[in-house]
Amino acid sequence: MVRSHTSISNVVALIFFLVLLIIPSVQSTTATTIDVWPKPRLLRWAPLHQLSLLSPSFTIASPYDHPHLSSAVSRYLTLIKTEHHLPSSVNNPLTATSSPPPPPSPPLQSLHIFIHRLHAPLHHGVNESYTLHVPNDRPTANLTAETPWGAMRGLETFSQLVWGRPSRVPVGVYVWDDPIFPHRGLLLDTSRNYYGVGDIMRTIYAMSANKMNVFHWHITDSPSFPLNLPSEPGLAAKGSYGDDMQYSPDDVKKIVEFGLDHGVRVIPEIDSPGHTGSWAEAYPEIVTCANMFWWPAESKWEDRLAAEPGTGQLNPLNPKTYQVFKNVISDVVKMFPEPFFHAGADEVTPGCWKTDPTIQSFLSNGGSLSQVLEKFVNETFPYIVSLHRTVIYWEDVLLDGVVKVDSSILDPKYTILQTWNNGPNNTKKIVDAGYRAIVSSADYYYLDCGHGGFLGNDSQYDQLVGSDTVSNGGSWCAPFKTWQTIYNYDITYGLSEEKATLVLGGEVALWSEQADPTVLDSRLWPRASAMAEALWSGNRDETGKKRYAEATDRLNEWRHRMVSRGIGAEPIQPLWCVRNPGMCNAVHASI
Amino acid sequence: MPHGSVIPAIILIFSLFILKLCIASVASAGGGGNGINVWPKPRIMSWTTQPRANLLSPSFAISSPKHFYLSSAANRYLKLIKNEHHQPLVTPSLINITTSSSSALHTLFITVESLLTPLQHGVNETYTLSIPADASIANLTAHTVWGAMRGLETFSQLVWGKPNLLVASGLYVWDSPLFAHRGLILDTSRNYYGVDDILRTIKAMSFNKMNVFHWHITDSHSFPLVLPSEPDLAAKGSYGHDMQYSPDDVKKIVEFGLTHGVRVLPEIDSPGHTGSWAEAYPEIVTCANKFWWPAESNWTNRLASEPGTGHLNPLNPKTYKILKNVINDVVNLFPEAFYHAGADEIIPGCWKADSTIQSFLSNGGTLSQLLEKFVGSTLPYIVFFNRTVVYWEDVLLDDNVNVRPSFLPKEHTILQTWNNGPNNTKRIIDAGYRAIVSSSEFYYLDCGHGDFLGNDSQYDQLQPSSSANNGGSWCGPFKTWQTIYDYDITYGLSEEEAKMVLGGEVALWSEQADPKVLDVRLWPRTSAMAETLWSGNRDEETGIKRYAQATDRLNEWRYRMVSRGVGAEPIQPLWCLRNPGMCNTVH
Repeated sequence: MVRSHTSISNVVALIFFLVLLIIPSVQSTTATTIDVWPKPRLLRWAPLHQLSLLSPSFTIASPYDHPHLSSAVSRYLTLIKTEHHLPSSVNNPLTATSSPPPPPSPPLQSLHIFIHRLHAPLHHGVNESYTLHVPNDRPTANLTAETPWGAMRGLETFSQLVWGRPSRVPVGVYVWDDPIFPHRGLLLDTSRNYYGVGDIMRTIYAMSANKMNVFHWHITDSPSFPLNLPSEPGLAAKGSYGDDMQYSPDDVKKIVEFGLDHGVRVIPEIDSPGHTGSWAEAYPEIVTCANMFWWPAESKWEDRLAAEPGTGQLNPLNPKTYQVFKNVISDVVKMFPEPFFHAGADEVTPGCWKTDPTIQSFLSNGGSLSQVLEKFVNETFPYIVSLHRTVIYWEDVLLDGVVKVDSSILDPKYTILQTWNNGPNNTKKIVDAGYRAIVSSADYYYLDCGHGGFLGNDSQYDQLVGSDTVSNGGSWCAPFKTWQTIYNYDITYGLSEEKATLVLGGEVALWSEQADPTVLDSRLWPRASAMAEALWSGNRDETGKKRYAEATDRLNEWRHRMVSRGIGAEPIQPLWCVRNPGMCNAVHASI
Repeated sequence: MPHGSVIPAIILIFSLFILKLCIASVASAGGGGNGINVWPKPRIMSWTTQPRANLLSPSFAISSPKHFYLSSAANRYLKLIKNEHHQPLVTPSLINITTSSSSALHTLFITVESLLTPLQHGVNETYTLSIPADASIANLTAHTVWGAMRGLETFSQLVWGKPNLLVASGLYVWDSPLFAHRGLILDTSRNYYGVDDILRTIKAMSFNKMNVFHWHITDSHSFPLVLPSEPDLAAKGSYGHDMQYSPDDVKKIVEFGLTHGVRVLPEIDSPGHTGSWAEAYPEIVTCANKFWWPAESNWTNRLASEPGTGHLNPLNPKTYKILKNVINDVVNLFPEAFYHAGADEIIPGCWKADSTIQSFLSNGGTLSQLLEKFVGSTLPYIVFFNRTVVYWEDVLLDDNVNVRPSFLPKEHTILQTWNNGPNNTKRIIDAGYRAIVSSSEFYYLDCGHGDFLGNDSQYDQLQPSSSANNGGSWCGPFKTWQTIYDYDITYGLSEEEAKMVLGGEVALWSEQADPKVLDVRLWPRTSAMAETLWSGNRDEETGIKRYAQATDRLNEWRYRMVSRGVGAEPIQPLWCLRNPGMCNTVH
């Protein structure tokens, strides 16, 4: 069943593509576009711009025995036949009046899928390329991909080509597509507030519609421990928000399988040694400074116990810490097949460890906090690696100003660092140190920012005239990241071509201090779509110019389509702007 | 029928008496200590005994005087009370629970003194609610049916529990709003909202004891209101047949408002913000469908403040023919005694685009004279229908285009402020007008989400610049619930002047909002204004702003709103609610 003539078919595709380019093009009708989000690397529509009806008996032919691909095929078949998307923009093929009308083509009967390496697992770097050809001279379209995961991307593209009632599809279309970055993720924090399994699945579903492939699940943190672990049931039993706010092993299995059906990897993060206050409900003895007020009155910021309310750090000097921790790792690795494991290690706060007498005596005997962290990493990192996992840490483990480890104990072969501070500067520091990087710069990719601080009793909001502290609204990572801010960020800025290859991709992040299921969709979408396109096919047009202006209308349209697909994405403009293209633009440098 | 001032005086004496009793007996309720809370916090809520709860009888009933709207409200609240089964996130403490079903509360008696008082500005919304300890009967007394509705809301918030319903008992509430006008603006022109979205919003307003739904119906982007005399305005100017409000829709919304004690105040913005009128009547609109800010031109030469151009032409007689038909229809559709006529953001460049206006100007006329002509031709017509006209402050305070006060009779005009915080409120009052406060620095709920323009290079920067500091939103940053809660709308005014401030309105302009984000943009931030305008933002005893203790109460209230079907956004991790005070800042 596995086809191995990979390179031959690629050559054929390339030749075909070149032929298409050579075809003498009539005046390009710029008013007529086909919108696929994220925009494919290459999409050509033969100049006549013909449309066909989609046959009522349209089918997707996929001769492969692959549970996840089969699931995707039947899902897309249903979507394609029932969506009947009605474009809201005026320059869509459906509403554009082209004269003379192109000759009708026969209804499209089927889409045939061809896959070369059926058994390629959904891992980092898996080939997601595909070619899609919808001919104008026969009723059969072809989707060719290296892997089932690439085929899923192609199915998504095909689904976006279909509109109207009755359903129509442009023919004479050729698409070649391949992501620029292999890691296109979204981080959701389910500890500060809880999200139901349905919310998580809807998010994964929306990710797949945007060709994103990594759901980074920040499962646990100081506020709650919602993950029910067979070896350590006390952690969730005592540390979750309640019986109805936990993830059972069956829930996890369901989410992981759902991810596979959608070509989305599910990477678990068990943050430690910081951000572990919730562990203290079950094991107070392994957590320092748990349940203390986070920033005592009259003390300096350096003496805080946590970066925000919710204190607690695992105690690296207590042997029991590792006993519990290894049980946790062992369970998590069993539940999540994903070869990446996120171990956290961000924001180790000196004040918290210093409250513990054993750590105090370690320090007074000449030890340092960094040594305490090194002890923790040395005890845990090899264990995770021994379970065949690549470990992702937040950049802090290496770059923190106060508490960090020596790079010699983090083998770059098994370590990836995720950056969130200082924009391109820290990305550069990470790759210069020889590590692979995942970019989640808070200046660009943090979706929670800009809604003010969440602290109670905050006098900064009691002012009649806006002061400096309030000019950004009091949110540490303000302002709000608009979709353009996200779209325009170049995650390899300032890196050599070679160093840029160490940047695996990026992740937008939704931290949940001020988010929960009621705002989930509107915080994520369509802003996550902006990153999805920038990482898939870039943020520049053929001339190398940033394409945020033309992306506006496409994103508007895509947002409307996502809404009709059940994703509560927020609007980015009045409908009037969609109906009057270009009229809502700025033509001045700044206002 | 009018009771004059006798009744309020009696109430006051009575309440002072009760207050004394309370001080003598136990600590006053509502400090957040025992978890029994009402939002907005009542003016006086005191325990006549130790805080306790009684069973609510399964056959609990509300006995209401027969009144079309109050009876409807009583039925609605009875259902809510029996079905809600609210489970507080923090279990009420220090409560003695009476479990004897023989003494369960089985009736709430409503007494209304003046059944015929209509819902209008300044209507008496005072009520007293008495739930004696271990008694089977509670009493709700109000001057008007609208006050009784406020009391019903309070009562509903005092009930919780599953499977058995409990009700706080041994409790006395006296309540009356500080400000008569507590509103919310929704812009249904830039993006459309379905009738159900509007009804849900009015319902949520009534939960928060708000009383004015200011409906910014039309603007340059779309004209969704179907008017019998001018059907083309919506037929051609709306976003589509499925994005219009029919007369029946309006009737439904107005009636729904009445059953919830919420006035529906229509705004037909003009002469600016009328681009959508040009789809039906291009001849009466200047500069319609032009690019809003031409390249290479100065900001002062823009045609509109944002994309979507068009001003009614005051020099064209047909303008008034159409506008009077519109006004006539609108006053027929909306019984509300206030009529909002807009008059904000007159942009010189737009009028200057018209040739008749050009010659008027070149003959020595001014733009302000044009506006005076417009106001002089329309305000008396609106007043003729027994309407008080609300205008945006611009009509008087705009630097370039404004009218003389003589065109705005003070007894028929109210000005709504949105610029310069307390300064413009004071200017309005100083000029002798009544004011409604919607300061964009405090009350604009759309701010802080960046700008909505396309092709905007300010977001393509590696180092955030100062212009991006507020995120590029002209009114950034985002207004947190605390920002809203802490604003004193009568700041800097004498006691006498402060009386001219009728109240406030939060505003949701819809450049970046539509039904998908409606609830999360409005709630619970609107609740913050609702409490401040109802009972204030200060601790009754110390006079200190009470935002700290309000945090836990608002958290709890947000969860309760969510369970009532209002998609309010969270303000903190659940952990904060479970660990009171631990998420505070002390710096």
